[in-house]
Amino acid sequence: MKSLFRPDQIPDAAILDNHRPLLRSLERRNFLRGGLSLGALSLLTGCDTSRPEAIESALRAISDMNDGVQQLLFNPNKLAPEYPESMVLNPPKFNAKYDVMSVKPVDPATWKLELAGRIEQKKPWTLPEIAALPKKSMIIRHICVEGWDYIGQWSGVPLRAFLERVGADLSAKYVAFKTADDYPSSIDMATALHPQTLLALDYANAPLGDPFGFPLRLRMATKLGYKNPKWVTAIEVTNTYSGGYWEKRGFSWFAGL
Amino acid sequence: MTETVSAITAGRRLHPVPVRIMHWINVVAMFVMVTSGWGIYDDYVIIRGFAFPDAVRLGDGAESSLLWHFAGMWLLMLNGLSYLIYGFATGRFRERLLPIRIRDIVETIRETLRFHLAHEDLTTYNAVQKLLYIIVILAGISQVVTGLAIWKPVQFSQLVSLLGGFQSARIIHFLGMAVIVGFVLVHVALAILVPRTLWAMLTGGPTLKPAAGRQSMVQS
Amino acid sequence: MSPTGALAQSREPGGMPPPDGMSLAQSAAMRFPQSVRVGDLIGRAVLQPVVTRRAYGTVKQVVRAADGTVNLIVDYGGFLGFGARPIAIPVDATVLVGVEIGVVAYKPEDLDKLPAFSEGGATPLPADSSIKVGLAKPFH
Repeated sequence: MKSLFRPDQIPDAAILDNHRPLLRSLERRNFLRGGLSLGALSLLTGCDTSRPEAIESALRAISDMNDGVQQLLFNPNKLAPEYPESMVLNPPKFNAKYDVMSVKPVDPATWKLELAGRIEQKKPWTLPEIAALPKKSMIIRHICVEGWDYIGQWSGVPLRAFLERVGADLSAKYVAFKTADDYPSSIDMATALHPQTLLALDYANAPLGDPFGFPLRLRMATKLGYKNPKWVTAIEVTNTYSGGYWEKRGFSWFAGL
Repeated sequence: MTETVSAITAGRRLHPVPVRIMHWINVVAMFVMVTSGWGIYDDYVIIRGFAFPDAVRLGDGAESSLLWHFAGMWLLMLNGLSYLIYGFATGRFRERLLPIRIRDIVETIRETLRFHLAHEDLTTYNAVQKLLYIIVILAGISQVVTGLAIWKPVQFSQLVSLLGGFQSARIIHFLGMAVIVGFVLVHVALAILVPRTLWAMLTGGPTLKPAAGRQSMVQS
Repeated sequence: MSPTGALAQSREPGGMPPPDGMSLAQSAAMRFPQSVRVGDLIGRAVLQPVVTRRAYGTVKQVVRAADGTVNLIVDYGGFLGFGARPIAIPVDATVLVGVEIGVVAYKPEDLDKLPAFSEGGATPLPADSSIKVGLAKPFH
């Protein structure tokens, strides 16, 4: 059965603009109808099945509570296991909310990393400037919420070091990311400061390929794959929750490993 | 005084109220966990070519199945923990499930194959029954342990290693589900064949003799 | 779901055959081809375009045909190891999907029609050499 990760056709962006209200109501209807399958409903006699909206929001509320539990379970000092270079998959597995032909390569000459929010020095960074910063390499297991995994090697600037360098408020709650392919993601500050959270520039000792997020992506070892945006264009440090692309569709925000 | 005391010793039912409540809560919890688990499985199947059909999956997509799974887990764990504590603290496990002897198991299997399984006395579990109940309790505990491992493979990385790695833990979690579903099929089939057992789990069943080792407190 | 598994995510059953007038090489070029070590391809599962991860077989060899095209030799068809025949699938008809390979440009019916592969004229590529293979989002 199709996963929501891959719609059949990517609508032309202009169509979305014109029909945004209609699309929103369609999405919402699929959501409500889709919360349960008919066969399963028959045994849940305690639930008000004439109002699936109530079930969906109850499930979401429990998921939000689970995010709090996940936050308690997250040990900021615990490192994810690392692996030998012989286990690295090269090239890595491509995945996106669209097929690879729709990848829009970023021009490194004009790309800038914008900064916003609770950051003292908001001057945008060019690629050479970021590449000049001290880098760290790690070989970790990428785990997708779907259940597959692979071992990959990423190197780049530790996000913690970058945030300290630009005078970010490390007591803020969230670090949010914007990307060139309209795939917002936000993470908790504790994970942002984890030693295995990198602003990755390279994969397997070579610059990230275009389909894999060139020039810069977020790569964490302590969160599910969908939390790691590619083609990052902006970082914001904020106390305002902004969710992310898949969170709107019901996936967990914390998504911790 | 004597009446009250004899009520305590003489009125013990096969399935006390707490047991019945926990049993039926468990039915709901296990149903949610298994059917939502099938929905999660379908997102990246373990057995090539095998996916669960839409009709048996809870949740119409992975995100929905995951929401159900991570909600149902609380019901399963809290109810399961209550049941384990109750079972040990009241001596119910010892009384109902032990002892098991290999020759009793063989004898019960022989009787089953001859369709001679005794079911007049619901208060004695035969050897295969005891074994299956122990297996399903262990499988339930295993599901929680392997489930935690694949939910938090970094926070519980040592546990994942013990289980043979992430995909191995995933496979063991899937096999545990198969054991539980297998148990449920046998369990439900037998309850239908001997409907008094179903009635017993709803209303308490026959009165038990006082437990072995307990002194009668009836005063002369 | 059909007994053989649901269709892949792309619109076309069998993946995405090149549009009329476009060659296999051109369609492969649209998929951001990546360098991959030939030795790493041997033994990889070759996936059918279904969500249930069914495979046609595994890569036995990577060869260059007399006309220069690079082909993956895959044991195709048969049942439980009996009656399979090796066929040559042009690498431009395939994509890398993680640790596996997917066939996107041929439908199963097209693969049925491919003749059994014969060694003559084809050179196996050295394990440490590299070839370029396109990408696709996973079928599952």
